[in-house]
Amino acid sequence: MTAPAPTLALKAKDYKSDIKPIWCPGCGHFAVLSAATKALAHLGLPKEQVALISGIGCSSRLPAYIDSYGFHGVHGRALAVAAGLKAARPDLTVLVAGGDGDGFSIGGNHFLHACRRNMDMTYIVMDNEVYGMTKGQASPTTAPEWTHSKMTPHGTGMRRFQPAAMALAAGATWIARGFSGDPSDLTRLLVEAIQHPGFALLHVLSPCQTFRPEQRDWKRQVHAFADSPTNDPVEAAQRIHGDDGMSLGLIYSQHLPVWQPLNEPATTVATLEEEFRV
Amino acid sequence: MTDLLAKNIESITEFLAHALELEVESAERYRELADNMQVHNNPEVAELFLRLARYGDAHAAEVQQRAAAFELPYISPWDFKWSCPEAPEVPCMEDAHYLMNKCQALELALHNEIRGRDFYSQVAASSPDPAVQEAAAEMAAEEDTHVAMLREWVAREACEAEKCPSDLDPPNMPE
Repeated sequence: MTAPAPTLALKAKDYKSDIKPIWCPGCGHFAVLSAATKALAHLGLPKEQVALISGIGCSSRLPAYIDSYGFHGVHGRALAVAAGLKAARPDLTVLVAGGDGDGFSIGGNHFLHACRRNMDMTYIVMDNEVYGMTKGQASPTTAPEWTHSKMTPHGTGMRRFQPAAMALAAGATWIARGFSGDPSDLTRLLVEAIQHPGFALLHVLSPCQTFRPEQRDWKRQVHAFADSPTNDPVEAAQRIHGDDGMSLGLIYSQHLPVWQPLNEPATTVATLEEEFRV
Repeated sequence: MTDLLAKNIESITEFLAHALELEVESAERYRELADNMQVHNNPEVAELFLRLARYGDAHAAEVQQRAAAFELPYISPWDFKWSCPEAPEVPCMEDAHYLMNKCQALELALHNEIRGRDFYSQVAASSPDPAVQEAAAEMAAEEDTHVAMLREWVAREACEAEKCPSDLDPPNMPE
């Protein structure tokens, strides 16, 4: 499909910073970086209108590689920082990036409440089912039988965290799964996520070449969701629970009121001075 | 030959928009790979990828020159008509490794150059527009010379004998 040529002020590469990514060659996160810059260019967003917030981990290095406002924050607290920023600056397009460990373990509680709060922001989780930066320990999304880490020589013995199901139950209003091996479709999903008014979770399967080389096989395992997206949470729940975790595309989209605090000061300096007068 | 075309390309402007994206993205990816190999202390392969990026820049400039007379349509990143997730000549990031040698990098480039050539050939064979057929056939012929050049390069490097760089402190050591 072609459209009339808009004069795009910035091209995707203009959104790349001068910092060279230190991710391992072959890392899936490169495709997320590419999708993010292409999505920003497609939407024609001015750099100063975009803020990319992250926590800690390989994927959380993303803000350094994108030429916009960015904040590389505290482990698991990316969503808390982003919520504060969005509350103070509702005019900004706020993107949040992180990994499965940062988002679902250390930041698990923030994740639930960010979904529930439904602020207008996009959360990109690059899921490789491992803590890569600390040399390969099991994460919340690691399969229970994965025994390749000395920390879990008999596997984790725990069921995996289900990001889409948790997000739906907690109240997220836009949930999709993408794959770094399909950067074009990932770009399309990211554009939709940014355009969605409310909290959007883009769960990205992003292989770790170094500590999970078997994930190279994901490109043969992924497939499109059989059904078109729904706005019915019950139907979405049934789909998610009946899914093998490798289905790609938009699962659920619902327009519900976006939470945004009133930007009115609770008090004034004059009132405070009055109260503290001795 | 893999089928690299999902739909027919209908007009010369649409074709040039595809060709430009293909060449620009290819050069950009080689540059990313070069940067990445530099960061991971594989200077030989970094230099090779940088050289390939410069060739890519030159090809992109040629397409740009050819397209100068036209107003190209804007195509959303996910609406290009190739059937693969990225432009056919763009090397997959996942095919790179920090311990890859020059020959593996050349094989990667050769694989993608062949895909680029095949893409243009398929456009030439399938487009209903004679102007597209002609332009695509010309570009397929040019890509064919690049394929031949890369094949010679692979042969020159005596690839069978080349060893991969080693890492005495590999990242995959158990913690």
